[in-house]
Amino acid sequence: MTITIALPSKGRMKDDASAIFERAGMKIESVGNDRSYRGRVDGWDDVEIAFLSASEISREVGSGLVDFGVTGEDLMREEWAEVDSRVAFEARLGFGRADVIVAVPEIWMDVDTMADLGDVAADFRAQHGRRLEIATKYWRLTQQHFSSLHGIQLYRIVESLGATEGAPAAGQADIIVDITSTGSTLRANHLKVLDDGVILKSEACLVRARKPEHEGNATVQKIIEAVRRVL
Amino acid sequence: MPATSLPTIASDLTALFEKAGALRVDTPVIQPAAPFLDITGEDLRRRIFLTESETGESLCLRPEFTIPVCLRHIETATGTPQRYAYLGQVFRQRREGGNEFYQAGIEDLGDKDLASADARAVYDAVSCIKLALPGAPFTVMLGDQAVFEAVVKALGLPDGWQKRLVQAFGNTAKLKRLLEELAAPRHVSPLSSEIEAMLAEGDLDGIAAQIAETMEATGYLTNASRTPKEIAARLAEKRRLANATLDPKALAALEEFLALEVPFAEAPAALSGFADAAGLKLEKAISRFDARAAAIANAGVSLERITYRAAFGRPLDYYTGLVFELISPSGAVLVGGGRYDRMLTLLGAKDHIPAVGFSLWLDRIEAQQGAVL
Repeated sequence: MTITIALPSKGRMKDDASAIFERAGMKIESVGNDRSYRGRVDGWDDVEIAFLSASEISREVGSGLVDFGVTGEDLMREEWAEVDSRVAFEARLGFGRADVIVAVPEIWMDVDTMADLGDVAADFRAQHGRRLEIATKYWRLTQQHFSSLHGIQLYRIVESLGATEGAPAAGQADIIVDITSTGSTLRANHLKVLDDGVILKSEACLVRARKPEHEGNATVQKIIEAVRRVL
Repeated sequence: MPATSLPTIASDLTALFEKAGALRVDTPVIQPAAPFLDITGEDLRRRIFLTESETGESLCLRPEFTIPVCLRHIETATGTPQRYAYLGQVFRQRREGGNEFYQAGIEDLGDKDLASADARAVYDAVSCIKLALPGAPFTVMLGDQAVFEAVVKALGLPDGWQKRLVQAFGNTAKLKRLLEELAAPRHVSPLSSEIEAMLAEGDLDGIAAQIAETMEATGYLTNASRTPKEIAARLAEKRRLANATLDPKALAALEEFLALEVPFAEAPAALSGFADAAGLKLEKAISRFDARAAAIANAGVSLERITYRAAFGRPLDYYTGLVFELISPSGAVLVGGGRYDRMLTLLGAKDHIPAVGFSLWLDRIEAQQGAVL
């Protein structure tokens, strides 16, 4: 049985992932030329590499089309309901760190916590004739945090696929749920993270699709152990 | 595969609705999604079937009938009281049971005699179940959002706290958290000394002016979202709320109220007994409760089946009074109903239109039929 590992196809994520696998004794080589989307691992004949975009990786590993993937925990948890029954997060890789956060305009000096936001959301319709609007691409994580965890129901999600931090100032939404690593973009847009507004501390993970045929498969075990050893 | 054919009880129910004088309406299966998400909240998004029109409008398969029926009423018959009946398929993503199943029910819109409209809703719901499940044992759980609101008000809490508690009514975990918070003053993080000084003087205009200045300097529109005035006002309110506590006696009264669960026939006496013992003025809410109880008895509903539970409610802002459920012996909710006087205004009606209704879960009722036969 060939084990397929999906890796990010470009950028820092690709370099960081390749570096970890190389340290783990799994040097990744592109098949054909450097731009190829297939790869293999020197000395591991039953392993193949598929280079994909990060969001494709979360889809493919969640649906079991590949055996392993390196992708952000945020993307996995956003893409799949009950993700832990579909996949195992085998290792946290220490790069691609980003927090998924709830941020409001800094000038909302009366809002520090989700409870404050709950009060504001409850009154919003009466004051503005519409619900509080949240710009985000993370609608599942937003719902879990607002509805399930904090019992806040009265808001609307405005899908935002880029430059989310600019949405409040531009009047496209009232607040945002987005990722941040250093917080500098938030500060530049005069947004602040709520005290209890960290939804998820995400980083790149080695994610394995839960498949029955992995049971007792030596290569699967070897890959997990090799990666864990170098972290 | 679960059956998707019309339930065998459908024609009998339709006849009952007709006899009850309700106008039968059908609504399109494909509906604009926005009203459902607006009214019920974003949590619904993962439970409905969403799609998009070619022009980008968000559409969904009808997840329930109440909102489409209300929208139709606003468009065609505002000002005229009207009872509507429906029976048809609804579509929801569910963990258990099929994704498409039948619901039927009555929405009673615009009747200003709340007690008798409430009683009619309970009576019709009970009649439907008696028709569908002759002789089957079932119980009715009944609650009243308005009584809870009156209790919270009578305790003398600041408005903001009343709102928080009323918002959380029906969500046991959240209500418990709020009560814990109310037992002690909350910590507040101090703001700049300038703002603190203006807060101390009650100079809200001063605070608003400073907020407006900052918003302009940082490129925020002052009218697109929360306004400077609104932020200043809530800041002052938040400080007031942080200092508000409920003394142990009042807190105990609130907890005692929430623990009330009595046979419906005894509920009026239990409520006035509670009000007297706690020293709370609840006359208006209790007299409305009594009027409804009398109307339900007069309608011919046997009260033995009904239990009143003070903490029973739904944490959605459009419910205003009666809430009830008909429950099978195994605990399945066969009918859900209640009064939702705020919904039509939320949906855009210009006038206040009282509304009460109920919905039958026909798939669960059919499952009970299987169990009974």
